[in-house]
Amino acid sequence: MRTVCYLAHCLLNANAKVDEGARCQGVHSPVLALLRDHGCTIRQMPCPELAFGGTRRFWAVREQYDTPAYRAHCRRLAEPVAAQMRADLAAGARVIVIGIDGSPSMGVELTAASDEWGGRPDKPRDEDYPVTLGAGLFTEALLDLLSGVVLGVRVVGIGQDLFDYDEAAELAKLDAMLGGAAGDAG
Amino acid sequence: MRGDVRSRRVVVVPDVVVNPPDGASDRLSDVALCGWGVVALPPSDLPADIAQPLVTAAVDQVIAFLDGGYEVALLPCADDPGMRRFVAALAASGRTVADLA
Repeated sequence: MRTVCYLAHCLLNANAKVDEGARCQGVHSPVLALLRDHGCTIRQMPCPELAFGGTRRFWAVREQYDTPAYRAHCRRLAEPVAAQMRADLAAGARVIVIGIDGSPSMGVELTAASDEWGGRPDKPRDEDYPVTLGAGLFTEALLDLLSGVVLGVRVVGIGQDLFDYDEAAELAKLDAMLGGAAGDAG
Repeated sequence: MRGDVRSRRVVVVPDVVVNPPDGASDRLSDVALCGWGVVALPPSDLPADIAQPLVTAAVDQVIAFLDGGYEVALLPCADDPGMRRFVAALAASGRTVADLA
């Protein structure tokens, strides 16, 4: 069974991240190598924050993006992605979404959230970037659009937007999921 | 602080580069090693009603990079239908991007 991985845009293009948010220059090679090792088909999802706020946007939490306009923007971007996923599932592929934990938009299990963020952008990222359990706004829109087939889609977050990001642990988590996918196929 | 490690260099690549056929060279890993980030185009055989909004999203993102002062290039693949579709959509927005030297 073919495994199709839908990646958060920044895993193939860290230039979409906010200033000081990137973990590499461009393509995150360790994730790419892992996907290659597992023989995965790779698809890149659009970055909702880049198209909405441009390259000079500030760090933000979920509450700052959570407006009807941004939700509509996420849904518009997620619709063709969901349609492509449905086509892959219909073709018998296994579909895995790889998001970014800690992201207000692409988070899977953890998302940036705070009722206090706003106004002057003076919150240092390495001291108090707040996260809470829950998905990001784009991930929510995507999963909502996948109703009916969502149980056939596996979703995992790489914690690149977390202050205590542990790359080895995150890659091991992804490796285990991809290995499990291969095992299930057998 | 981590500092800003973004390369500010983005290359647009067709799906055949992201998902090369068996035995083909891995050009995606090559551009990755050179520090480029990539905007990956949808597969050229995707139905138009799915592909077109994905191409539109790619155009919007490339424009965001251009307006942000980033270097943007195309990985030369003029014979790829997906790349031709993207170049046409970018031109319709009044923008152009040169091939990667």
